[in-house]
Amino acid sequence: MRSSDGLAHPLLWRRLYSVWYRHMRVYTRNLVSNGLPPFLEPLLFLLGVGLGLGKYITESMEGLAYIEFLGTGLLVTTAMFTASFECTYGTFIRLEYDRVYDGMLAAPITAANLIVGEILWAGTKGFFFSFAVLCILTAFRIVHLPHAMLAPLVGFLTGVMFASMSLLVTSFVKTINHFNFYMTGFLSPMFFFSGVVFPVGNLPPTMRFVAELVPLTHAVRLVRAACTSRYDVHLLGDLAYIAVFIVVVGALAVRRLRRRLVS
Amino acid sequence: MKIISVSEINKTFGEVCAVCGLSFEVEAGTCFGLLGPNGAGKTTMMKMIYGKATRDKGCQGRIDVFGYDPARDELAIKYLSGVVPQEDNLDEELNVVQNLLIYSKFYALPTKVARERIASLLAFLELSDKAKSKIKELSGGMKRRLVIARALLNNPKLLILDEPTTGLDPQVRHVIWDKLRQLRGQGTTILLTTHYMEEAFQICDTVLIMDQGRKVMEDNPVRLLEENIERYVLEVPDGQGEHGASRDCPAEGVRLDYAQGMRRFYSDEIDRLKELADTLQGEPYYLRQANLEDVFLKATGRGLNEKQ
Repeated sequence: MRSSDGLAHPLLWRRLYSVWYRHMRVYTRNLVSNGLPPFLEPLLFLLGVGLGLGKYITESMEGLAYIEFLGTGLLVTTAMFTASFECTYGTFIRLEYDRVYDGMLAAPITAANLIVGEILWAGTKGFFFSFAVLCILTAFRIVHLPHAMLAPLVGFLTGVMFASMSLLVTSFVKTINHFNFYMTGFLSPMFFFSGVVFPVGNLPPTMRFVAELVPLTHAVRLVRAACTSRYDVHLLGDLAYIAVFIVVVGALAVRRLRRRLVS
Repeated sequence: MKIISVSEINKTFGEVCAVCGLSFEVEAGTCFGLLGPNGAGKTTMMKMIYGKATRDKGCQGRIDVFGYDPARDELAIKYLSGVVPQEDNLDEELNVVQNLLIYSKFYALPTKVARERIASLLAFLELSDKAKSKIKELSGGMKRRLVIARALLNNPKLLILDEPTTGLDPQVRHVIWDKLRQLRGQGTTILLTTHYMEEAFQICDTVLIMDQGRKVMEDNPVRLLEENIERYVLEVPDGQGEHGASRDCPAEGVRLDYAQGMRRFYSDEIDRLKELADTLQGEPYYLRQANLEDVFLKATGRGLNEKQ
C-alpha cells in the first residue's frame, strides 16, 4: 500500500537551497578567518603592483593602465581559485574524510541535488570573492561604480564554471595529493596565460588558440567589459561559451560524482 | 501492514556477491534486525532500502518501502524515514543545536517548528544540557544520540540504524535500547543492523541472520534460541585436563563444539553439564544459558572468512 505522505517531500529548489544553506552556515561560522582574507589578498596584490611593479610598466594594455588591467582580471581569478579549492579539497574532505555527504544523503535529497547545490555554493563564493576585490578596486578608484557592479555576477558564473570542472576532476581523484597536478598544471597556467596579467593578443597564434579554449579567458573578457563599459558583440560568444561549458561539464560532473556517492 | 518488503535482491561489487537473493518483510511497528558478521552484506542491504546503494542492474527482485521503490522514489522514502549511518558524520564546526537546525532545512521545517522539535528531541535523548556544546566536546555516546536525534527530526515512520551502539559503553547502549523501545512503542518501525547478539535479543521482534550475503535464518529471537540451540552451555578453555585431548562427545545428550581454544558442551539438561563440570578436576569452566551468540556462531561458523 502506497503512503501518499511521501510525496510531500520538499521541492527541487528547496532541496538545492538546503544544501547551499548547510555550506553557507558552516562557512560563516568562522566569519573573520573566512571573510577577511578575500579583502586582504587583492589589497596586498594591488599594493605590490601599484607601489612597485606598476612603475616599470608604462605601456597601456588594451587601452588600460596596468593596474586597471590586472585589477579587473583579479575580479575573476579570485572566483576561479575559491571555487576550485572548494570543489577539490573541500569536496574531497567532505566525501572521504568527514563523510558529511553520507549524513546529508540520509535526508530527502538526491545525490544530483547535492552536487548541484555544491556547485551553486561555489558560485556564491565566487560572487563574494569578486565582490571583495571590487570593494578594494573601488576604494582605490581603479574601477568605478555603478557599471562595475556587474563584476560579482561574472564572479558567480566563473565560480560555477570552475566548480563544475573541479568536481569533474574530483570524481577521478583517489588520493588528495592528486589535486596538485590540477592546481599547478591547469589553474596556474590559466592565471598567467588567459589575459589576466597580459593581453592574450600578445601570445603566439597556437597559444592564443589554446587560450581561447580554456574557460578563464572568457570570464576575463566579460568582467573587463563590465568594468569599462566597453561592450561589443563578441562578448555574446564568451557568454555562450560559459553557458555551454557549465551545462556540459556540470552534467558530466554530476554523472561521474554520483557514482561515488551512491554505491 | 508491511512497511518494507524485499524479494530476491542481488548486489555484487565486482566479483563479490554482497547481497545474494535476499528476501524479507518488515511489519509496521516492529523492530527488525539484520544480524551478521562484518562483510555479511547488512549495510549494503540497508543502503539499498533508502537509495544510497543500488541493486544490480539485471536484478529481477523488488524492494518496496511504503509502497515506493527506492530506485525511483528515493525522496519519498527518505522523507518518511530517518537514517542513522554507521559513522557519526556531524558538522564539527557547528554546535549541537546548529547541527540539527541545518538538517531540519532538508525537510523544509519552518524554523519555529524545528526549534520546538529540536528541544523535545534533545530532551528525549537526554542531551538538553549539551544544546550549545561543540561537537568536539561530546563523548562517543552523545554523538551517537545526537545522530539519532537528527534522524528523528521529521517524525519518521521508519527509523533505519546501521550499528547504532557499536563502540559504546554498556550504560549508553542500554539508554539507546530503551529509547528505541519507546519509539517502537509509539508506532515507529525500526530496521537496524548489528553484530551484537544481545542488542538483537533486547530490542528486535524479528532477527534475520545473514552471512556472506545470504539469509541463514530468520525468526523471533526467542524462537531462534529455542529451536536452534540447546538451552545450556558449559565452556571450558583448552587445558591439560582429562578432556583436553578428547574431541569426542563425552556423554549422551551433550554436544561438543570445539573452536579457538575453547570447548563448548551444549545440552538441554543443566544437570548433565553439571556432572561434566564435576569431572573437570579443578579446570576453570563457565556454565551458562545459551544465547543468540551461540546460535549465530553455529549458523555462520566460528572461523573468520576473508571479508572479516
